Parts: sequence; C-alpha cells; structure tokens
Amino acid sequence: MIAKRAGNLALSAALVALGLLMIAPILWVFVTTILPAEQRFALPPKWIPTEFDFSAFGKVFDLIPFWKMLLNSIVITGVITLGAVTTSVLAAYAFSRMEFRGRNALFILFLAGLMIPQQITIIPVFIAMRELGLVDTRASVFLPFLVNALGIFLLRQYMLSIPRELDDAARVDGAGRLTILWRIILPLARPAIVALSIFLFQVYWNDFFWPNVFLSSPDKLTLPLGLVSLQGAQGESEAVVVFAAITLIVAPLLLIFLFFQRALVDSIASSGVKG
Amino acid sequence: MSSGATQIVGTSRAVGGAPRRRSPRGGEKLTPYLFLSPALLLFLTFVVAPLFGAIALSFTDWNLLGSKRFIGLDNFTRLAEDGDLHKALGNTLIFTFWSIVLHVVVGLGMALAVNRQMWRVTRYFLRTAFFFPFLVSWAAVALIWQYALDPNFGIATFYGDKVGIPGLADGWLLNKTYALPALILVDLWHTIGFAFVVFLAGLQAIPGHLYEASEVDGAGPVRRFWHVTLPMLSPTIFFIVVISFIGAFQIFEPMYIMTRGGPDGATSSVVQYLYETGFRNYEVGYAASIGLLVFVAVLAATLVQFLLRRRWVFEG
Repeated sequence: MIAKRAGNLALSAALVALGLLMIAPILWVFVTTILPAEQRFALPPKWIPTEFDFSAFGKVFDLIPFWKMLLNSIVITGVITLGAVTTSVLAAYAFSRMEFRGRNALFILFLAGLMIPQQITIIPVFIAMRELGLVDTRASVFLPFLVNALGIFLLRQYMLSIPRELDDAARVDGAGRLTILWRIILPLARPAIVALSIFLFQVYWNDFFWPNVFLSSPDKLTLPLGLVSLQGAQGESEAVVVFAAITLIVAPLLLIFLFFQRALVDSIASSGVKG
Repeated sequence: MSSGATQIVGTSRAVGGAPRRRSPRGGEKLTPYLFLSPALLLFLTFVVAPLFGAIALSFTDWNLLGSKRFIGLDNFTRLAEDGDLHKALGNTLIFTFWSIVLHVVVGLGMALAVNRQMWRVTRYFLRTAFFFPFLVSWAAVALIWQYALDPNFGIATFYGDKVGIPGLADGWLLNKTYALPALILVDLWHTIGFAFVVFLAGLQAIPGHLYEASEVDGAGPVRRFWHVTLPMLSPTIFFIVVISFIGAFQIFEPMYIMTRGGPDGATSSVVQYLYETGFRNYEVGYAASIGLLVFVAVLAATLVQFLLRRRWVFEG
C-alpha cells in the first residue's frame, strides 16, 4: 500500500517535471521579454526576474501596426465564426428536420467537401479574387470560410438527438419554422453551438496558410502574419522584439485559458469522443 | 414532410396534402432549400467550383501572366520526374509516419499517467501545461522554437546539450540530419495536448465494471491494458490516427517559417513546395497539379483507413 502510494507520488512528480518542460519555452519567452537588456539571453537563463525592462513592447508598436493587426484578427475571426455558425445552423436544421428531394445527395456532397483540402481550392480562388481586385482585403480571408462542412455535420448530429415531439407541439401552437428554430432548437443545441464556435475561433484566429497567400500590406495582416513579418525585419540580436510580440499575443491567451480551462478542454475533447 | 410533395410550388395555398400540416405561406416545399441556400451557395462557390477550376488549371502551363495554354498531361509527367517534389514527398511521408506514431504513443502514455487519483492542483497544472501549446498559433510556436533551438542562445540547445543530446551545439535546424526530426518534435510539442485530452476523455468513458470484472478473473494491469483498455479505446486511437495523418500530410508552417525547406531541401514538404511553386514562382498550372496530388493522396489514405477500421476497431 505504501509502495503503491510512493509509486503514485513519483509518477506525479515525473508528470509535473514533464509539464514544466513543456511550458519552459513559453516562460523563457515571457521572462526574457521583461528582463533588462544585459540579462537577456544569459546562459543559464535567468528564470525569475528581479529587475524589469518593458521597453521591448514599445519597439513592437514602432515596427508593426500591432493594434490594427489585432483588429484585423478580431474582425476576420469574428465574421467567420458568426457566419459559419449561422449557415451551419440553418443547413443542419434543414437536414435534421425536413424532408426534401436530394436531401441525402446534398448531405453527402457536404461531407465529401470535408475531404477537399484548402491547398487545392486556394489556387483558383486566388486567381478569381485577383481578377475581382479582392486580394489583400479582409473579405478574401473570411468569405471562403463562411461555410463549414464539419459544422453542418456536427450540428445535424446534435439536432437529430433533440426529440421531434417538441417541434410538433410548437407547431400545433402555430409556430412557424423560424420560430421553432429560434425558440426550441437553438436553446437546446447550445452546447454544440458553443463547442463549434470555440473550435472555429481557435482555428481561424491561428490560421496562417490562407491569409499568408492573400494578405500582404502591413496594415491588412492578421496577428500571426504580423508576428512572422517581424522575423524578417529583425537581426538575431533583436530577437527580444519578436519575444515581446509573442508575449503580447500569447500571454492574454494563457490568462483566458486559465479561467475557462474546463470548458475549453471539454469542448475540444468532445470532438474526439464523438468522432 | 411527405405532405409537402403534393403541394404546388408558388401557390399561396396548400393544395391537398395532410390537413394536419399547416403551411402559412404555401412555400413549404421550397423552405428546406431556403434554409440550405446560404451554405450551399458558399460551398459551391468556394469549394466545388475551385476544385473543378484546379482540375482545369492542371492541364495548362499558366503562370498568371499571358494566356493559358493547354498542355495536356505535361504537368503530370513533370510530377513524375520532379526530383524536388519527390524529396518533399519523402520528407512529408517521414514527417507523417512519426507524427502518427508519436501522437498515439505519447498522447496515450500521458493520458494513462494522468488518469488516476491526484491532487486537484496537480491535475490543473498538468492539463494546462500539456494542452496550452495546442492553442498557440503555428506562427508563435515556430518562432519560439526557432529561438529555443538557436545554437548560440537557445535554451533547448543549452539544456539539451547538457544532458548529452547530440547535434544541438551546431544548431539542429541548420543540420541536414537533425532538421526534420527537430520539426517533428516541435509539431509534437504543439499538438500533443489535443491527443492527450482526447485520450483522457476516451479513458474516462470506459465503464469501470469492465476493469472490476477482469480483476475478478485475475488479470493483472498489463493484461487489463491489452484486453480492456486498448479494445475499448480503439475508436479513439482511430480518430487520432486519421486526424494526425490529415494534419501531418498537409504540414506547411514550420517548414515555411523555421527552415524555408532547408538546409538543402532536408525539410521541404509537399504543401510548402506547392506554395513556392504557385505563389512564389506563380506556376499556378503546375501548382494545381500538385494540389490534385495532395487531394488524391489524402482521399485514398483516408478511404484505406476507414476500410481497415472494420478490422481493428472494436465497436462496443
């Protein structure tokens, strides 16, 4: 019994060590950013700062339009999340609640669309957007993602689990399609909608491949692109400016995560259990 | 809504049909299509049409300037002979193989280790430390590790060298032997948290009575793992294999940001090569044929995985 306890404790200690190892690179970036210049990049590194220097943040704002990039990220990710959730809810409602010609064929079409990678659609879409003069605009980055096949699929599955008797009861009371969707389906499908929103926000907030092709002017870039643009502008000695930019982006994310950890982890893990 | 089939579209009153079904404006037959139309129009515009556009492009030598010229299957013979592409494909396959193996083995190992009684604080810390990197963008992850692996001031270099990990002092990313393994490990660091939480949720969904029953039968921990945990977890393992495959086969960011495919092509990937071809050299015709190759490969591999699923996934 005691041996088992000791074994458990040793395992916990090993896990905590692994955890520290995992977050060490992030902490190194945070700490290095706020150290005085002569203490940065010392080896072995200084893990607990005793003196502080916040000037590196100022240099970020000098080099890139950080707040503009933050705004771009918020607008693009916000429009995609709201738009894709809306189109998915409407489509999932039709697929789960109505009978019509071509229902199965259309559903299979959407599912097949899941298999078509961005890397193939990006070329014709780029050519078309170029002809329409939309390259280097926010629209070129959010328009293609206002539909999400995975979202339609997940919400349809969830809506199928909501008893149809509820719809029928409301219909007897004279409720129309939209009223039923708004008053009955939406509130009951809330967990799935919240999970989908978190998923979409996380994916498109961090997206790199697509925006990297379409956006090029500094004041049009999203945060991930702005971050990487610092890499070219800076010599090795100015790594601290990149560190400051990473800190500005990642530290607030860490705070949000610490508060909403349970909900975030559960909603993302649920995608796997159902899959 | 079988009653809808007997209604006449466009009339303001339902003709025939079940009286039970009230149809206020008579458009009941059209209603489903109205609900579907936003998703369907966007889907046709941004997924289906571009797919056919890419197929058409792949038969041309267009470079965004001048006129498109039909060149038959030339792009596809070029695919077969392009040494740089084959190098990128080889790197991608190595990356994909290790990505799948490591995500399953390490993710499951971490989940098994965490799935036990422990202090709440410890559990909270572990979930944060293991999962948080997954929420950080590739842009930030790639830059953090580029500096952490820097031969002069990187902490991974400093501590790794101390415990005897080879090659770090010369810079892993600058070395042909170590650059690709380095990117495999950075990717693992970035996304292992996802596999971990999915496996943990899978483990917690296994009913406890199965373990109790096998214990009564005298099975030890090793037998319990092989005969209860693994079969019950096989759908979860399958999910992680498929997800890891799709993500890894399309890997782009670490190659693009950290190494630009170098040194000497040692870390090029198919999608990075597609990007260079299409959006740096503007050979969009050839890039489209590479895109088709990615599409067909992902499609084929996923189909094979689903066919194999019947063999080894235990549907409880």
